[in-house]
Amino acid sequence: MPHTQSDPYLPQPARILRVIGENSQIKTFVLAFTDPAVNASFRYQPGQFLMVSVPHCGEAPISISSAQQATPGEIHLSVRRAGKLTSAMHLLAEGAIIALRGPYGRFFPMSDLCGKNLLFVGGGIGLAPLRAVIQSCLADRGRFGAITILYGSRTPSDIAFRADLACWEQEAGVQCLLTVDTPEPGWSGAVGVVPKLLDQVALDPAASKALVCGPPLMIKFTLAALSAKGFADQDIITTLERHMKCGVGLCRHCHLDNKLVCVDGPVFTKAELNTLHVMELA
Amino acid sequence: MSSSHILKKDHLIPLLRKLGKAYRLVAPMQNRHGDTLFAEVASVETMALDLDHQPQESLKPFLFPQQEVIAAYEADQAGYALHPRYAAPPPTLYFGVRSCDLAAILYMDVIFSQRTREPHYLGRRHNTVLVGLNCNAPFPNCFCDATKNGPFSELGADLQLTDLGDRFLVTAGRAQGETIVSRWPQFFSAAEEAEIKKQYQLYLEARGGFQRQVHVDLAIRRLAEGMVDEAVWQQLSLRCQDCAGCAYVCPTCTCFTIVDQPRSATSGERLRCWDACTFAGFTRMAGGHNPVEPKKAAIKHRFLHKLKYDVEKHGRPSCVGCGRCLDICFGGTDIARFVELASEE
Ligand SMILES: Cc1cc2nc3c(=O)[nH]c(=O)nc-3n(C[C@H](O)[C@H](O)[C@H](O)COP(=O)(O)OP(=O)(O)OC[C@H]3O[C@@H](n4cnc5c(N)ncnc54)[C@H](O)[C@@H]3O)c2cc1C
Ligand code: SF4
Ligand code: SF4
Ligand code: FES
Repeated sequence: MPHTQSDPYLPQPARILRVIGENSQIKTFVLAFTDPAVNASFRYQPGQFLMVSVPHCGEAPISISSAQQATPGEIHLSVRRAGKLTSAMHLLAEGAIIALRGPYGRFFPMSDLCGKNLLFVGGGIGLAPLRAVIQSCLADRGRFGAITILYGSRTPSDIAFRADLACWEQEAGVQCLLTVDTPEPGWSGAVGVVPKLLDQVALDPAASKALVCGPPLMIKFTLAALSAKGFADQDIITTLERHMKCGVGLCRHCHLDNKLVCVDGPVFTKAELNTLHVMELA
Repeated sequence: MSSSHILKKDHLIPLLRKLGKAYRLVAPMQNRHGDTLFAEVASVETMALDLDHQPQESLKPFLFPQQEVIAAYEADQAGYALHPRYAAPPPTLYFGVRSCDLAAILYMDVIFSQRTREPHYLGRRHNTVLVGLNCNAPFPNCFCDATKNGPFSELGADLQLTDLGDRFLVTAGRAQGETIVSRWPQFFSAAEEAEIKKQYQLYLEARGGFQRQVHVDLAIRRLAEGMVDEAVWQQLSLRCQDCAGCAYVCPTCTCFTIVDQPRSATSGERLRCWDACTFAGFTRMAGGHNPVEPKKAAIKHRFLHKLKYDVEKHGRPSCVGCGRCLDICFGGTDIARFVELASEE
């Protein structure tokens, strides 16, 4: 009889400690495992994800949007309302219990980022996994160069993570630039797709790493723009979304050529993606 | 290491009677519709054992059931708790397993333990004894010669039987097999040189008995060289009826999904169910993005997985040549059809 501890499908209950409304579609849930021992021993890296269970709704893969050092004892999940499970989760308030298993997946190569200038390019909910990296870098600020954060939203009211962006901007050597697809009255910032912001910042591709996450088309155009700016393929890192059911390399829903994104990814460099048939690059 | 014995056919039923007491016994039997299927033997006396036809399904449904409960949950104001559930099948002896299905089990052993140890499959597998049966006469759709795992097998079985007419030559391949022979010695006698020679003769005849030439090696080579035209995938994908019959009967298709089945407002079960990469929804994400364009590539991953990715990973294809998808596919997009199209210059 297998041990329950080693059951790869078994999630652990976790309590919602706080809910942060990011915009009309995105909420950040601050969570802790109900079992203090589980919570204390839980370790994860930026870019990893959890399989989230909500009663009667099955499971969905969600990136951890916080960094271990920045939020000790707490796990942040930033969730966009997209369908059944995510909508049910949005109805939950402080005190409610969900269940989590993980962490899963290959994470951002933090040691490779040391000493580099970091360029983060996010679109919509895509800032969630990057937020974990940014928090991690800021918790250990001295080890990284200049940090530039480019963030695109559909409209000004869709801008999520406002509180985070405001904090990050206060930090030394951090620059945040926002853009929207469609402006609203009172918006004085940039208008247009995120890659356009690349023209507005000073870049030193040879001394930098770029980290990108967003919808498929945004990834496609951003990767192309970064290459045009002179970023080498191994210095461009992104994280892919795929349909996932198990998260542990068994169910094959996340197949990508001879890889399984849940275990071989979701974080990939552009150099790696070049050898694969990737929707985001097609 | 392996030892050879003789089991007279007169001794088969008495042996099965003993085995049926020591194990849950599963064997190919003909049902009242005339279909041959592996099924649990309720009574050795009245069983309709059928060793003359290929079982329509492999042992996959036994070791990796189409649907199984992996957890039960309760959810109410007080909390949310999930409890793992494990079916605990008694030690089971599978009798009359063909080489293709044995090879498939060896493949599943790897799949369900390599990346992550899968407790449900491995729990069942751990409790399993396999008695194989070599194929003296391949069935019309078989091509295990081309996938190099049949029609005779030396791998996977605890005991491997070859039909010599009025007797079986029995090879004990693994410890469990030796245990059976030594526990019930009254049914076995030592094999003689002539009988082992006869087995080899039958093997050569069986190899010559395939009715289909499926050029699996050629297709593998053309896939490796990137020589298979996109038009081939498109042609097959357009014909695919999205029924997943091929994946369900295939002994090496192991894709699954996980769903919650509410049983009341405050409780339910989490199920693991077979799924198929050919289904349009298999890879579709919320918001509608789909990395696989169904009309162009619905069937592409199935064949690439079996004939390219698994060759790269495991050194051999994961099609075991059982021919079942040829029987079941009504769209004409089975693997033999693909191999044929892929092999055309
Ligand atoms: C590695 C990874 C990290 C992710 N991180 C986040 C995040 O931080 N925040 C966030 O809001 N979203 C994230 N997503 C997307 C999120 O998983 C989907 O939005 C979610 O699964 C939708 O489920 P649903 O039940 O609400 O939608 P529905 O449309 O009702 O259901 C979609 C169906 O597809 C299944 N499914 C499995 N994987 C996916 C997927 N990737 N996309 C869509 N459907 C999927 C669902 O289980 C369900 O059966 C991530 C996805 C991946 C793969
Ligand atoms: S692909 Fe077809 S012939 Fe090959 S193992 Fe699967 S069902 Fe059998
Ligand atoms: S594929 Fe080979 S091993 Fe399987 S039933 Fe046919 S001849 Fe026997
Ligand atoms: S999510 Fe199951 S294999 Fe990747």
